Amino acid sequence: MKNNIRIARAVKNITQAELAEQVGVSRQTINTIESNKYVPSTVLALKIARVFGKPVEEIFILEDGD
Amino acid sequence: MKQHLLFPYWCRYLGWGLVIAHVPISMIGRMSGMINPLDNPAGNTGIFTGEHLFFIGTTLLMALGLFFVAFASEKIEDEQIWHIRLDSLRWAIYINYLVLIVSLVFVKDTAHILELNLWVPLIFFIIRFRWIIFRLTRSLSREK
Repeated sequence: MKNNIRIARAVKNITQAELAEQVGVSRQTINTIESNKYVPSTVLALKIARVFGKPVEEIFILEDGD
Repeated sequence: MKQHLLFPYWCRYLGWGLVIAHVPISMIGRMSGMINPLDNPAGNTGIFTGEHLFFIGTTLLMALGLFFVAFASEKIEDEQIWHIRLDSLRWAIYINYLVLIVSLVFVKDTAHILELNLWVPLIFFIIRFRWIIFRLTRSLSREK
C-alpha cells in the first residue's frame, strides 16, 4: 500500500512532527508510514486522512500486490 | 491508542539498576563461599537454606530487572511500537524453543537448561526490540 502523505503534508504545510502530534503517534511512525515501511491500522489511517480533510482512499492507495 | 498493561517509562532505569546491582551482589556471594545450587546439585539441596535464599534473591533481582527493562513503556507508546514489541516477543519465543529443543537433545544438564530458559526469551526480546527502535531512530536522524 502506498500513500500520499508527503504530498498532502506539503500542501497543508505541516511537518512530520506536527502531523504525529495531531494523530497521537511518534514522528518515527509517520516517517515509516511515509516511506512505506509500515502499514498503519485502519484507525490511524482514518485519523491521518481526517487531518488532511480528505477521504482515506485519497491518502492511502492499494497496490496490485495487496 | 488503547492503553496496554505496561510498566511506566521510568521502570526501564529501575530495571537496569537491578540488573547491574545483581552483578556485585552475586560476585560477593560467590566470593564468600555461596554456591549456586544449580552448579552443585549433589550438594546442599534443602530449600530456604542460606545458599538457596541467596540464589533466589540474586536470580529474582536479575529476572525482575530484565522484566522491567523489557516491559517498560516507551515515551510515546504508539501502534508501531506495539507491533515491534509483539514481533520481538514472537521471535523471542521461537529462539527460546529452538534453544530449548537443541539443549534437551544434546545436553544432559537439565538444571542449567531451566536457567537458560529463564534468560533467553527476555534477553533476546530486549536486544531485538531495542535494535529495531535504534534502527528507526537512526533512519529518522539521517533524514533530518
